Amino acid sequence: MLKVPEHQVAGHIASDGKLGPLVDDEGRFFKPLQGDSRGEHESNFYESFTSNKKVPDHIHRYFPVYHGTQLVEASDGSGKLPHLVLDDVVSGYSNPSVMDVKIGSRTWYPDVSEGYFKKCIKKDRETTTVSLGFRVSGFKIFDHQESSFWRAEKKLVLGYNADGARLALRKFVSSNSPADSNLTPPNCAFASEVYGGSNGILVQLLELKDWFETQTLYHFNSCSILMIYENESILMKGGDDDDVQAARAQVKLVDFAHVLDGNGVIDHNFLGGLCSFIKFIKDILLSVDKRHETETSPLENGN
Amino acid sequence: MQLKVPEHQVAGHIAKDGKPGPLVDDKGRFFKPLQGDSRGENEVKFYESFSTNTEVPDHIRRFFPVYHGTQAVEGSDGAAMIVLENLLADYSKPSVMDVKMGSRTWYPDASEEYVQKCLKKDTGTTTVSAGFRISGFEVYDHKESSFWKPERKLLRGLKVDGARLTLRKFVSSNSLSDMGSKPDSAFVSSVYGGSNGVLTQLLELKTWFENQTLYHFNSCSILMVYENESILKGNDDDARPQVKLVDFAHVLDGNGVIDHNFLGGLCSFINFLRDILQSPDESAES
Repeated sequence: MLKVPEHQVAGHIASDGKLGPLVDDEGRFFKPLQGDSRGEHESNFYESFTSNKKVPDHIHRYFPVYHGTQLVEASDGSGKLPHLVLDDVVSGYSNPSVMDVKIGSRTWYPDVSEGYFKKCIKKDRETTTVSLGFRVSGFKIFDHQESSFWRAEKKLVLGYNADGARLALRKFVSSNSPADSNLTPPNCAFASEVYGGSNGILVQLLELKDWFETQTLYHFNSCSILMIYENESILMKGGDDDDVQAARAQVKLVDFAHVLDGNGVIDHNFLGGLCSFIKFIKDILLSVDKRHETETSPLENGN
Repeated sequence: MQLKVPEHQVAGHIAKDGKPGPLVDDKGRFFKPLQGDSRGENEVKFYESFSTNTEVPDHIRRFFPVYHGTQAVEGSDGAAMIVLENLLADYSKPSVMDVKMGSRTWYPDASEEYVQKCLKKDTGTTTVSAGFRISGFEVYDHKESSFWKPERKLLRGLKVDGARLTLRKFVSSNSLSDMGSKPDSAFVSSVYGGSNGVLTQLLELKTWFENQTLYHFNSCSILMVYENESILKGNDDDARPQVKLVDFAHVLDGNGVIDHNFLGGLCSFINFLRDILQSPDESAES
């Protein structure tokens, strides 16, 4: 029995009779092959990547597991269409907060059509893509006060400037209600557990960065990094590695419709944007550390 | 003070049609005319800021020309000139290459006309594909015992393979004007490699760029210089390779964001040199 995924934050959404991805109850994600050869292109990438011996083992964890293609009843009622079958990256999480960040200072690439190039560059210049080297495409967080999910409005997200992007990244790891107006600054309560720690987002991004400094296999044009973490157990703060395990923060690369061969050149577009993104995350962790240093401990207060 | 036209300039403006070009003196100084349209002003602003910026680590200053203020110079209609260290003053037979860093030479807030002009050039060269483009170079040809400089047209038409070949030619001793000959990469280890070579210096710059949010070095070049005189005398190890950043007419404040454009291109350039160091005799395969 296939249904619309609960936790999708960007890309085409299968609702109101539109064509979009579906999930089953066995942890599989079915993505309809997009027209204009993009779908074929994405499945070609997955085929190539899955069997590519030059990809180091520890890098595979950053990519969704591929299970080939399958004819599946499309979400818009148009009959059986080929779909990519992937592991659902959020299955195994009960209340995941998710953020989609498109990496790179340009989403176009050499040899695209004039129309596509103009469309991309317009969006790149209107968002933080050109200025920051990445843009937030969408995110949803679990509101602990309301015990429900809060989804950022697409229009809002695409209108972010540098400060907006910074704020969104802080909101993503905060426990105060996101529905609150922007008067209350995000408290970054989960920053250390999600972004920091020996298995946190930053460590994973640094591992990816290492690979991107030398890999010339693929150029990941227009790809996103997905950040996911579990809210179910995160309220138990002890400040040690157990909480990081409880948060189970994960980085995944997604959306490979525009991937091309590297042809002996590194993906400098993705790498530059990734380094910029890493700096933003580092700065948030630094500001949280500084705050902890200036706060007096409860013990000192009590006595 | 005797001023003359520099011998080894490889890119940028040269004295032409009555318009002033750069000059050098015999005291190791380089005089650069202030470019119009506020570009010259912007470059001075950068040098003033940079030379006094306490947030720039000491070990990074070696990658920038020393700034000596501005001066009106006789014979240039009293026009002000930027006075800098002559980067080639201590070299007798320097090979020089200018590489413009970054996958785009335009930047947000530039005029639409400027953006379109830059885009056209960026997409037509290796700027978009490789993250850098070779703007110019002059090499000492050991076979011909003379300097050789390619035509600018040739450089603009370079694709990725051509750029790779050119980077090999830069450190080769066999005849460079012969487009068909395979470069011998004779000096690759003494120029690109080694604990003081170009690659080591670039890696130091890379580490700084991963964190510095002070400046965005739009349209800046990296200059690579090395000495042929010592190589001619059989001392390959005294090539004294140097990396310098030059051309700061379009530098802007970083505003809390790293210069991801320059950094991406720099990482790509580093990878090209690494490939050449690891396989000097063959073209690198992906």
